[in-house]
Amino acid sequence: MLNLKTITLTLKKKSQIALEFDELIPDNIYNWEKSDFEEYQVPVGNSRFPLTDYFDIDVDGTAESPEEVKMILDGDMGRVKYIGCKMGAGEIIVNGDADLHCGAEMIGGKITVNGDAESYAGREMKGGELTIMGNTREFCGCSYIGDWRGMSGGKITIQGNAGKQLGECLSGGEIYVKGDCDILAGIHMTKGFIQIDGNVTRWPGGQMKNGNILINGRLGTLLEGFVQDGVVTDPDIDGKAFSGKYIKYTGDIALNGKGGLYLNAEKNRDLL
Amino acid sequence: MEYILKNGIVYDPANNVAGEKKDVMFKDGKIVDNVSSDAKILDVTDKIVMPAGVDPHAHVAGPKLVTGRIYRPEDSRKGVTAKKGVCRSESGFSIPSCPATGYRYSRMGYGTVTEAAVPPLEAKHTHEEIMAIPNVDVTPLPLFGNNWFVLQYVKEGQIEEIAAFISSWLKIVKGYGIKIVNPCGSEAWGWGMNVHGIDDPAPYWDVTGREMVRALSQANEMLGLPHSIHVHPNDLGHPGNFPTTVSTMDCVKDVEKNSSVRNQTIHITHAQFHSYGGTSWRDAESGAGEVADYVNKNKHVTCDVGQVTLDETTTMTADAPMEYDLSRLNGLKWANKDIELETAAGLVPFIYSGKAPVSSLQWAIGLELFLKIEDPWQVCLTTDHPNAGPFIRYPRIISWLMSNQRRQEMMDNREVHPWSHKRTSLATLDREYDFNEIAIITRAAAAKIYGYQDRGELTPGYNADIAVYDLNPNDIDPSKEPAAIEQAFGNAMYTIKDGQILVKDGEVVQIKPSQTIWTNVQGYEEQEKMIMEKVMPTFNRYYTVKFENYKVHDHYLPNPIEVKVQASK
Repeated sequence: MLNLKTITLTLKKKSQIALEFDELIPDNIYNWEKSDFEEYQVPVGNSRFPLTDYFDIDVDGTAESPEEVKMILDGDMGRVKYIGCKMGAGEIIVNGDADLHCGAEMIGGKITVNGDAESYAGREMKGGELTIMGNTREFCGCSYIGDWRGMSGGKITIQGNAGKQLGECLSGGEIYVKGDCDILAGIHMTKGFIQIDGNVTRWPGGQMKNGNILINGRLGTLLEGFVQDGVVTDPDIDGKAFSGKYIKYTGDIALNGKGGLYLNAEKNRDLL
Repeated sequence: MEYILKNGIVYDPANNVAGEKKDVMFKDGKIVDNVSSDAKILDVTDKIVMPAGVDPHAHVAGPKLVTGRIYRPEDSRKGVTAKKGVCRSESGFSIPSCPATGYRYSRMGYGTVTEAAVPPLEAKHTHEEIMAIPNVDVTPLPLFGNNWFVLQYVKEGQIEEIAAFISSWLKIVKGYGIKIVNPCGSEAWGWGMNVHGIDDPAPYWDVTGREMVRALSQANEMLGLPHSIHVHPNDLGHPGNFPTTVSTMDCVKDVEKNSSVRNQTIHITHAQFHSYGGTSWRDAESGAGEVADYVNKNKHVTCDVGQVTLDETTTMTADAPMEYDLSRLNGLKWANKDIELETAAGLVPFIYSGKAPVSSLQWAIGLELFLKIEDPWQVCLTTDHPNAGPFIRYPRIISWLMSNQRRQEMMDNREVHPWSHKRTSLATLDREYDFNEIAIITRAAAAKIYGYQDRGELTPGYNADIAVYDLNPNDIDPSKEPAAIEQAFGNAMYTIKDGQILVKDGEVVQIKPSQTIWTNVQGYEEQEKMIMEKVMPTFNRYYTVKFENYKVHDHYLPNPIEVKVQASK
């Protein structure tokens, strides 16, 4: 990726109350000088405080557009919310944990979290790439509370484990969990693809209408609304080829759903 | 404090002032004929001056709103603003927070709004919310169209009992008049059913919508209430429902009016939802012509439109079976709110899209009603907020009504689906409202329909409720500049309420507690006493609350406006 300007924020003091970073996205700050950052007041709870109270700031190079920006957040961002929220281009690297709503409503660009991400990572994502090297918690790639329109594009990759209701109301895009996943992955999903390499506790695809979920690990409990279609070998799902045997289900029939659920046949022998 | 609004161009339809350049004076909160030389001058040279707006039908306070806010957080996050100046923070688009409701009406130059569906059991809560809405006075209309006591007396044919019951209940719940929603249908919903048409009886009671509407109308006139019955007819939103609407209007034609402050004996609300032809959504078409034709020929009827604004909104009505049907139709989440013995409400989010044939048809039918009803005193501008769209879209509707060019452009550019002109006559209607007609449908007519004697006109002695818009009517061609019209009507230059300047240049600059308008019937004390003795055994048996906790006590109305009427036969 093209990067002409590197903005490095190094944490020097962790706030008890979360900082909000949705204004500090490449789209807004690509032409900021160091002095602009030094003047900037970051939202903290119901107030704003100087960014320099919390970070050492280093700006290197120049950028003509957001695509040319790389932001590096060094340190524990466990109390920094909305990192990369609504970003359209550029790159953000978090060298530490990220707080709630990391990559929420993201449209384009790339975020890498070299640590864990709190709940709501990639909420309502429309495009771009979000990679979490550690674990994430609940509602990754979901909708806003109450809404029925969730993530619709882009890709989320989680190297570790994911929490409850992963990809809730998913209507497009792709979520890939390399570790384990908790209950109700893909609940209410209508389109898109979820792949989970580890084990799943219970109930993937509850009330799903369409789209596909593939589980390479062991599933604890399957929902009653899924009908077994038989075993498929080397399935091709959404243009992706998978090797091996999978038990294929269709559901959720409670909603007349046409979603596909693929379980690794080897690991889920008991369901055959 | 004395003020003089200098050199404005005044539209005051009630006093036959249509675009005259003159001064408007007010003192101590009232309009006056003249002021002393100490009066403060507000220069409004060549700007439009009108009485403050009066909204005859909206849902702004009460249990439905709270249910809506709880189950639609995704709506609350739209329209979020930080606190600024005298304003608290705002939230919400179709279901704004209470302060936001007040500020937004105020910014449009409105001063009064009707909360059109108050379940008596939840009246206390409604009044609590009214207390939290600043800047606009609120007129609550309690629901009687599915009330067990009313059903019982209609079944027995006891009109005097109904009148006594209404008279008592308006005192108990502090309401202004009689609202009827899907008469007998919401009661049937308690049995998982609905009624179809005006002559389909409710289960168990064996009473029809026609009997309910007629009886409540007779009781209304027996008491001589300032407002007529306010009716949401049966079959809302069903293709082919216009005959039900016409029959509903016609069924009270022979009921004699007993009030000098209004002209009508029935007000049909959100007529757009009740003006459909066809037999299903496949062959649905406009029935606006027939409804408008009846209104044009019959002066005992008034209506408001419930114009679809093509937004994502929240539908909420005390027509629970209709809301259930709607949720099955659009597949979105549904909330039901049953009110024991009285009514049942439902809520469903709804997306009115110009790309969708049905939404576009509804949009066109609403406009057809506005354009086909000849006398603007018989029709008011509403969106049945938030059912057909949020009230903040009134300025946009005004721009549509004033510009045939804009309407044609929307149809030509496919901003609306071809059903808008293929299944209605909208494309053939070139009528354009002028500023005086806009003043009628947004304030004067509504005030007349409600029988208000203190607002809606710039008559000396009336409240100094005034709106000034930053438009020079001699300079602008509304037909060609719809955006400028929308901008100006959405951001009043001044909104003055009871003589206080609440809005200046589109910004709320002062907060004023709202007042609650209710009707206190006099001279019916004997009958009320008798009816209370009659209803209490049933009340104690079936209600889950004690009567002591049911009544709305005076402290729920810190700023009441009590309208006293003398009951007469």
